[in-house]
Amino acid sequence: MHRILTPCIVLAVGLLAFAQDDVLHAPKTVTAGNSVSISTSGQGSATFYLLGPSRVAKRSVQLGQDITIAANDVASSGIYQAIACSSSCSSTVFQVLPAAPARLSFLLHPSRVPVSNGNAINATAFVFDRYRNTVLSSAKVDFHITLPDGPTMTRAGQTSRGITWFEMGSTPKQGRLQIVASIADANEPRVIQQVASDACHLHMTASPSGRTVKLETDPIRDCAGNPLPDGTIVSFTKIDNAGRSTVDTPIKKDKASAQFQLSGNARISVACGVALGNELSVGGGQ
Amino acid sequence: MKPFLLWTAFLAGAFTLLAGESALVSASAASLPKVVLHAESIAPRSIEQRTGEMVTHNYAQAWQDLASCVEANRTDLLKDFFTGEAKTRLTHLVADQRKAGLRTHYEDHGHEVKAVFYSPDGGEMQLEDTAQLEMQVFDGQKMIYSSTSPHKYLVLMTPGADRWYVRSLESVGNDAF
Repeated sequence: MHRILTPCIVLAVGLLAFAQDDVLHAPKTVTAGNSVSISTSGQGSATFYLLGPSRVAKRSVQLGQDITIAANDVASSGIYQAIACSSSCSSTVFQVLPAAPARLSFLLHPSRVPVSNGNAINATAFVFDRYRNTVLSSAKVDFHITLPDGPTMTRAGQTSRGITWFEMGSTPKQGRLQIVASIADANEPRVIQQVASDACHLHMTASPSGRTVKLETDPIRDCAGNPLPDGTIVSFTKIDNAGRSTVDTPIKKDKASAQFQLSGNARISVACGVALGNELSVGGGQ
Repeated sequence: MKPFLLWTAFLAGAFTLLAGESALVSASAASLPKVVLHAESIAPRSIEQRTGEMVTHNYAQAWQDLASCVEANRTDLLKDFFTGEAKTRLTHLVADQRKAGLRTHYEDHGHEVKAVFYSPDGGEMQLEDTAQLEMQVFDGQKMIYSSTSPHKYLVLMTPGADRWYVRSLESVGNDAF
């Protein structure tokens, strides 16, 4: 009999000790950053505990009196347990909801992108309240887009679980593309540098002089007319009686140039990245 | 996508099995909680198999560290799988627990995790976690609170050099998802 009774008594004491009875009365939900009043019933002193996602508080209270929880103790959204322990412990649960949107985290990729590239730019915005809680209710984020050639446009995104995103293609003109994400008083600007794409209509001319030939390209531009940046490598390749020879040279002031010694008739080609230019036949000594 | 679900479920089970078999190799691996990742409705980017494996494993490791951290009140246990706001909040929590003489014991019975957002650049992944946790809070030796109800979390993970970090871990109401 003793063996049966002991576990029963322990269980009963356990149930009493953690009873979720009517000692504590908290609102079901509270907005983050607002103080909370929890009413209590009973009498005598007790130890009060507040267990939250990022804060824990413990203090002595008098049962029968209201317990005020300071605003900064409920700044993090989530589930909170309020517990009062005297001879036994009683608890209640309430939820702290995020406050109004006030902060943005805005990610824009990549930092450099070739012009006229479809869906090459992606933007993701995260919406938080002033306490860095993710705002779960749907909110509208405005994206103000300033293109390199001046015009500005705005597109809006509606968040889902605090996130909104979009993709867009780069525009034909190189330069600075700025996107400012905005919600409430929060503005987060980000900049992408649109750079020239691959060379287009690559063309060189040759100026033979005795056994040498000087080569120079026309201004090198992409198909939208954007000049390729100085420093971009252009390759000139010569094939003649002496064999094959290649010169890699950077673009300077929109053009690239090179010089070869010739050994008989030569075929010379030019390339820049994936773009092939024209091919010339040059006679040695001609 | 279905094979991936099955695969991750198998993988998560494998963690548990593996833990039992390699108890002598790694004591910490033995207590990795079970995590099952569902990725059928992830958008806008689909999840790669290797990424799913990493996220599943690292999230399990994060929970293992979290449980150890709030049990022992040691913030050094948060450095491997937490970053950003999640790490900040747990650090505050542990500091408060230590000050109040409290500790929290989690008995982790597993996580059903649904991946809902994966950014186009692969830099952020949002998860909805329904966790089966037994939670016991002690003031000294006295248990002051005990709960066995499911807990829901909205999670943001971001990739690092060799792992995925929990950047945000927010408890949400039962009706959130």
